[in-house]
Amino acid sequence: MSAQLHLKSVNKKYNPGTAHEVHAVQDLDLEVGRGEIVALLGSSGCGKTSTLRMIAGFEEVSSGEVDIDGRRIDRLAPAKRGVAMAFEGYSLYPPLSIRENIAFALKSEKLPQADVNTRVEQIAALLEIDDILDKHPNAISGGQQQRVSLGRALIRRADLHVLDEPMGQLEPQLRAILRGRIKHYIKEHELTAILVTHDQTEANALADRIAVMEGGVLQQFDTPENLKNRPANIFTGAFIGEPPMNLFEAAAEVVSGNVELRLSPEVTLTYPSSTFSEELQNRIQQDHGVMIGIRPHSVQLTEEGLPAEVFANQWLGDQTHIAARFAGGSIVSVVHDLALPKAGDQIRIAISADDLHIFDTRSGEALSHGGQLA
Amino acid sequence: MGFLELTSLTKTFGTETVLDGVSLSVPEGGTLVLFGKSGAGKTVLLRSVAGAIEPDGGTILIGSEDVTDVPPEYRGIGMAFQNFALFPHMSAYDNIASSLTSKRMSASEIRTKVQAVAELLKIEHVLSHAPKALSNGQKQRTALARALVSEPRVLLLDDPLRNVDAKLRFEMRLELPRLLADRGATIIYVTQDYKEAMALGDRIAVLDQGKIVQIGSPADIYRRPANTQIAQLFGDPTINLLDIVPKEDERGLHGFISDQRVDFHGRFPGVAGRDCIVGLRPEALSFTETGGFPVTIEAVTPFNEKTVTLVTTLRGREILLSQPAQDPVPAGPEVNLGIAAQDAILFDRATGDRIAPEPDGNRVEEAA
Amino acid sequence: MDHTSFLERWFRRAALTVIIIFFMFPIFWIVLMSLQTNETILRSPPSMSFAPTLDNYTAILAGRLDSNVASMGIDFVNNLMNSIILSVCSVAVALALGVPAAYAFARHKFRGSEDIAFTLLSFRFAPPLLVLLPLTLYFQEIGLADTYLGLVWVYQLICLPLILWIVRGYFEDISPDIEYAYRIAGHSWFSTFRKIALPLAGPGIAAAGLLAFIFAWNNFIFALVLASADKQPVTVGALAFVTASGIQYGQIAAAIVLSIAPTLALALWAQRYLVEGLSLGAVKG
Repeated sequence: MSAQLHLKSVNKKYNPGTAHEVHAVQDLDLEVGRGEIVALLGSSGCGKTSTLRMIAGFEEVSSGEVDIDGRRIDRLAPAKRGVAMAFEGYSLYPPLSIRENIAFALKSEKLPQADVNTRVEQIAALLEIDDILDKHPNAISGGQQQRVSLGRALIRRADLHVLDEPMGQLEPQLRAILRGRIKHYIKEHELTAILVTHDQTEANALADRIAVMEGGVLQQFDTPENLKNRPANIFTGAFIGEPPMNLFEAAAEVVSGNVELRLSPEVTLTYPSSTFSEELQNRIQQDHGVMIGIRPHSVQLTEEGLPAEVFANQWLGDQTHIAARFAGGSIVSVVHDLALPKAGDQIRIAISADDLHIFDTRSGEALSHGGQLA
Repeated sequence: MGFLELTSLTKTFGTETVLDGVSLSVPEGGTLVLFGKSGAGKTVLLRSVAGAIEPDGGTILIGSEDVTDVPPEYRGIGMAFQNFALFPHMSAYDNIASSLTSKRMSASEIRTKVQAVAELLKIEHVLSHAPKALSNGQKQRTALARALVSEPRVLLLDDPLRNVDAKLRFEMRLELPRLLADRGATIIYVTQDYKEAMALGDRIAVLDQGKIVQIGSPADIYRRPANTQIAQLFGDPTINLLDIVPKEDERGLHGFISDQRVDFHGRFPGVAGRDCIVGLRPEALSFTETGGFPVTIEAVTPFNEKTVTLVTTLRGREILLSQPAQDPVPAGPEVNLGIAAQDAILFDRATGDRIAPEPDGNRVEEAA
Repeated sequence: MDHTSFLERWFRRAALTVIIIFFMFPIFWIVLMSLQTNETILRSPPSMSFAPTLDNYTAILAGRLDSNVASMGIDFVNNLMNSIILSVCSVAVALALGVPAAYAFARHKFRGSEDIAFTLLSFRFAPPLLVLLPLTLYFQEIGLADTYLGLVWVYQLICLPLILWIVRGYFEDISPDIEYAYRIAGHSWFSTFRKIALPLAGPGIAAAGLLAFIFAWNNFIFALVLASADKQPVTVGALAFVTASGIQYGQIAAAIVLSIAPTLALALWAQRYLVEGLSLGAVKG
């Protein structure tokens, strides 16, 4: 797959050389393949929006290079970059009807009117805005405006589609279905898309690969599957996943054929050393200890195991979150039906070696996932 | 009778009716969640209880004392605001202490109380900071501490977790019940997040256009939503709503989804032949080898703890299905879908209201 | 792109320089004039080279106006004192009345509140002379003419609307939630006003007060009509320099420098509070 969008060690500094210098994006390398959907995911201030604005041309690149389809574009005006964009703030043209707003995006393609009409109607049906096509932007709700804005971006055949928080305002009951449809549409038309979002559900649902950013630095760029199963560092481990990963500091030791992870003076996880490779055993026995992470859905409630005291049991319809005091901290377990333990109950929990993520406490880098070296 | 009683509260702003005869009752020490979309009237209702807004009509009773015309400072309530509403020119300590300085209390007594609540909320290290030097999470905890410190009889929490990040919101959701339970206050909690509503409320009141459309336990609301709108507001992914015209035969009321028979349990006199909607929760559906009906997989979304799949039926109807992450999704694209019929909810298509089965002789359905 | 931004920077500097020269030149020139004798001022063509002298200042402060024809007494220092008394008192009264009123208008929308607020502002639309002539008659009738009290009263026409409208905006900017929070914490509305609203609107109140002070200080027409020589402020007092034997430009310039000095100093001193106020506003909400 050739790269459709290529960022080469891109930097963005605001107020360079002054006391207020902000290094918003640091040495970012990113390749998006043709026909791929990539999400830039992070909390506010992580640099994702600056990156997006540099790609779209609303912000200068402080250093580095941006290529789209093999052309260097970082010095071109936004209109010449071949980028179609859906804005978070909708930015619809108020005097035009919804139909005209969407068709406006096709102006540069110089299509016959009949083709324009069919395409507008297609995209309107997809986004469930066909009944408001003749209204004007100020007469429709925020969620509808966002769908129009999405339609205006998706209807184009651009080299790159850029979607800024594309679904933040959508009506919740439509969100899940529209995500599925939009992904299907992008794939069907072989579009390349990059979307910026702070919502990992959205990133997961739409993207083939997700670039997790924090503090202007790319933390991990990987498939949703790998972000979940093989987080590169403590940050991605804790950031991806809802509820978040349980994290404990531990001292690791190999004692008479067993790997022992001591979380607190009373709580020790013991596994046969055969489950950990030789090299891994050496690497986790560090003086400053390791950080272990367990996904809440991997925390098993069992008959025997380590004791914990429940302090919250919250049923959410399709799943139950159980939080318990464990090893001087708290541990959260997700159960997929109504679970019984009440606050104050003693439960026993077990953690399989396959579900264990081990990180280096100092560097934060992952050492192993499920007994395999990272 | 509840500790906090609201009786037919009304409020209009100009021509717009914001509260339309709202009556509520919260037992002492209970937590009532006010749930609704923005503009439903939640905040106005909460402010009426706080005394920040004067209702046009109706009464507010706290502990059987009529406080409708009592100024806010004499109502004995604590309130946490969605935007925190910290006093920007005071330190975190003074912010929290402001709830005590109005009472006859010595400086040392105030200090002890502020320290205790700060310790509980883990903000004792930032007490000397000005609000602008606090992180969002710390601001939120300071605002909560200010509401809690005077040990109010009634605690009003206006979407207090709205403006904190997802991780902190989750942690606070687990912690809050414990923090609040210790105090024994009677609580009204406003939120737009159905997960918070289900996790924190003994009872949930769903507000829409200034009216309470349903009030009940989380299980009531989730399993027996009063109408399709409420059904769609609770649950992620949202409930599947499919048009159906039920029929009746000797095995009872049933309908067909893609030629697959779905039975409704219970007696539904007069429902057969009516235009209805059947609501199917995504987690009540599953892939099956045998039986079920054929569908095509359109998109698979793996989340951490669950996998959501969008499928279409032969007639092009879209259905969402959710299953635990460890359960495999069949290769597809052609697969079979099974329905756990006891979880199906029946609605009237014209009104959108749920059609409840008639109670049979020995089992009385809980009143909604 | 660096090239354009360099051009842009250069252009911005040039534009700034032009603006600064345009606005600062009169002040600069006045200062120069105040250090010259009438003769050197009236030279043609004007020249920048002269022997600076403080004669104008000493003459003004000593209260003796010497010209080449005659010498007469003027009471500039007294005028300066009048200006200070009138401006300070006017602003104080306007703040005492205007700030609570502004709070009421900002927080309590009652029937006709907009109309009343607008009527107060409309005093600023009318030419001062419109109110002055009838006022003069009234004041003479009730004995307020040529008193500080009467002048301060009339000065409210300038100060009160200004303070009311500026401060009202600042009060409206404070999130009502912050005040509700304080009341719910058990405090009366008055203590909420004192402890929350006033401190948070402080910078705005300072700005409005400063502006009102400048307007009051610069006022000419009210004092010209209503005040006699011993009550008149500098603006009116400066008229004395236009004498039958010619206009004493040097002394006028010195008087102007002395009379703008207090307001200028006040503005510079208050500047940092105004900036502080802006940054406080940024963390609201």
